[in-house]
Amino acid sequence: MKKIFVLSFAGTTIAATAFGGSFQLNLQGMRQVAMGGSGVAMPWDASTIFYNPGGLARLTGIQAYGSVYLVSPTVRYVPDHAGQIYYETQKHTSTPFALYVGGPIKKDSRIGIGLGIYTPFGSSADWGDDWTGMYVTQSISLQSIFFQPTVSYRINDRISLGAGFIYGTGSVEIQKAVPVQDISGKSGKASLDGKASGIGFNAGVQIRATDDLNFGVSYRSGVRMKVKEGDATFTVPPSLVTNFPDTKFSTELPLPSIFTVGASYKATKRLTVQADVVFAGWKAYDSLKFDFEKNTSALTDTRDPRLYKNTVAIRLGANYQIGKMAEVMIGGAYDPTPSDAMYLSPDAVDANRVSLSCGIVLKPVKKLDIMAALNYTTTAAHKASYTPANMNGTYQIKSLIPALGISYSFN
Amino acid sequence: MKATYYSLAAGLLFFTACKPTIEGDSPSKGNADFSRYVAIGNSLTAGYADGSLYKSGQENSYPAMLAEKFKLVGGGDFKQPLLPGNAGWPGPKRVLSVNPACDGTTSLGPSLYSGTFDTAGSSTNISSQGPFNNLGVPGIRCVDYTIAGYAAIAQAIGGVGYAARMYPSPTTDRPIDVAAKSNATFFTMWLGSNDVLGYALGGGEGNGTGGTLPSDISQVAAFEASYRAVADAMTANGAKGVLLNIPDVTTIPYFTTIPRNGLNLTRQGQVDSLNTAYAPLGISFSLGQNYFIIQDLAAPGGLRPIKEGEYLLLTTPQDSLKCRGWGSIKPIPKRYVLDAAEVSNVQTATTTFNGIIARVASEKKLPLVDANAYLKTLQSGIKFNGLSFGPTFVTGGAFSLDGVHLTPRGYALVANEVIRMINNFYGSNIPQVDITRYNGVLFP
Repeated sequence: MKKIFVLSFAGTTIAATAFGGSFQLNLQGMRQVAMGGSGVAMPWDASTIFYNPGGLARLTGIQAYGSVYLVSPTVRYVPDHAGQIYYETQKHTSTPFALYVGGPIKKDSRIGIGLGIYTPFGSSADWGDDWTGMYVTQSISLQSIFFQPTVSYRINDRISLGAGFIYGTGSVEIQKAVPVQDISGKSGKASLDGKASGIGFNAGVQIRATDDLNFGVSYRSGVRMKVKEGDATFTVPPSLVTNFPDTKFSTELPLPSIFTVGASYKATKRLTVQADVVFAGWKAYDSLKFDFEKNTSALTDTRDPRLYKNTVAIRLGANYQIGKMAEVMIGGAYDPTPSDAMYLSPDAVDANRVSLSCGIVLKPVKKLDIMAALNYTTTAAHKASYTPANMNGTYQIKSLIPALGISYSFN
Repeated sequence: MKATYYSLAAGLLFFTACKPTIEGDSPSKGNADFSRYVAIGNSLTAGYADGSLYKSGQENSYPAMLAEKFKLVGGGDFKQPLLPGNAGWPGPKRVLSVNPACDGTTSLGPSLYSGTFDTAGSSTNISSQGPFNNLGVPGIRCVDYTIAGYAAIAQAIGGVGYAARMYPSPTTDRPIDVAAKSNATFFTMWLGSNDVLGYALGGGEGNGTGGTLPSDISQVAAFEASYRAVADAMTANGAKGVLLNIPDVTTIPYFTTIPRNGLNLTRQGQVDSLNTAYAPLGISFSLGQNYFIIQDLAAPGGLRPIKEGEYLLLTTPQDSLKCRGWGSIKPIPKRYVLDAAEVSNVQTATTTFNGIIARVASEKKLPLVDANAYLKTLQSGIKFNGLSFGPTFVTGGAFSLDGVHLTPRGYALVANEVIRMINNFYGSNIPQVDITRYNGVLFP
């Protein structure tokens, strides 16, 4: 079983029911994260390759940019009618990252090119092998890495465009208990492991309406992450082995399209405020299907309803230039959940999220930015059911994400 | 120094902010007193499963599950007359195994446990370890509750000493006296199944309209008198409690597992010879699934095909069906068949007895758990946290390997239904049991 995919050099597991609606991760740029995830209207730095490819040609030169995020959310589940018993996901830190290289091909060129490597989606939840929901999920880990070569063209001083092709790769690992017990009472186990891939694009426009007012629009297409030949393995009592043959499986996870419009306004010489409105096309995630190559009476193809709905998230932020050497940022976001409260599985816990963030950028020497950010995301108590399993309870997610980044300009 | 404290405090704040804070409602007892809980009942209450009584079955009885939750709202210790081992007593329990059949095939099915017999010597009276909170006695009928010396009689007639083990004076005690002396502040009472079940499990060979033997259906008047007496005794000191009624036994795997049309004819030669043999009786066969031939003294020739609505007992010898021509060239003996008239007797009695139980519940202002209705919902399936339960033998997960009694998970379903009713009626908030913590059917 090859769990390690091509880009494992970073030792990275992308994960976390952490930030952004459902398994969407909005951790692609330090300044933007520190400003509530907003940033479609302004080319803050090379991370505009993700936030708005249209901004790439507006950078002052080629930049190299790297950032990493420490994600370790905790999800708590309080079952209905169970008194004061509760369960929590096991602490597990994952490190989504974003790398960008790009900018105008030479000084004052209208054309910009770049490459982004980032982790737009991920989710991991490890509830342990022996909890009350073990027959629904024990652990799940969805990972993704997107590669996005990008070109951008500055039509004039006011308008610039950009687009990138996305090749997404990723993996899925799922473990759950199978409800057949051996003679000692130990439940069976199913492990599903597979590599996924998909393609898409990311395009955007930035408009400098006045010297102080910018607008931006971006559209990231949906990406259907397909697992073609995953491995399903089962551990069951010996008398049932023929009922649960190890087999290949295929499945598909539709990552949503994201349409963002936003504006930024330079209120004073030092202070810029910005706001994004983000439309996420989660409706594509109607059900999660697993098609097993070998079927038996005990092992049939599955179709779990998810019934996601489209969402609109609001992201706000402000950037304050302290001097030539430093800037500070704060921001906040409201991310409504796309999930249906009747079909919320503990393998993809979600709720309406409120997040607050802040950050600082230090410029110890010219051309070098050292960036740090902190994001705090929480949900209220979210009462939900996973109807197909008759699993009912209340969930809460809390997460504190520290992040570090560095950027260097070659102009 | 001070700075260290500050940074410590800041660190703590940092971490607490990342911890979810939601909590469940705290348990409360409402207007009932669970300090001394006593369970009245039969095998279902004792934790009987897989055709026998054994320690882990007792430990996973629904009263033990209830008692564990009652402890959260002031419940006291819950003492059960535990057996020393898990082999089953007096006979071994059933376990699943891959068994060879007479026709050379093998299949997964129940067989008698052949491990160490660790329950030997269990007929010794252990009443000095009591008083016991679980007074469930396998085999006991409602009408037995007012019989003096029941324990000794049951041991003498049936050879089963469940009551004799735990009653202080087996030769003189009436079960109702033992129940009354328990001084319960709260009780559950699931009584009456054996007043129907003994008849049904015996293929309806006893008296179906009211008799006195364990293989008869109990007489209605005797049932009512005994049921009322026990309910009176339990509530005499103001105790509160719950009544559970009698499940319809015709939906349990003991009666529904062997298909009526399980006579599978694969060769035309078989069909022809059976048709020739049965032509005088006007019974014909065809390739594929056919209804088994059963004994019926009232039918021409004393036999006929089984009809819809009639049941073959789980105890029908499989080898006789497969290799000795039972159900085809020889009729299945009537003691393995619950025919239409017998089914009707069972259902009439169940309805009548449940009517009595419902009347007593309403007169004594006790909540009634409609176990009959609840267990019928197994037909369409009951789910809990990804587990599915159904009415089928072995795979259904709710019934143990005797096809009558429940698995620990099945008993947990009942416990939750009881808790739900208690909470509704007494305004308490007793947490439900986590069904996934218990065992279902175990596979080799």
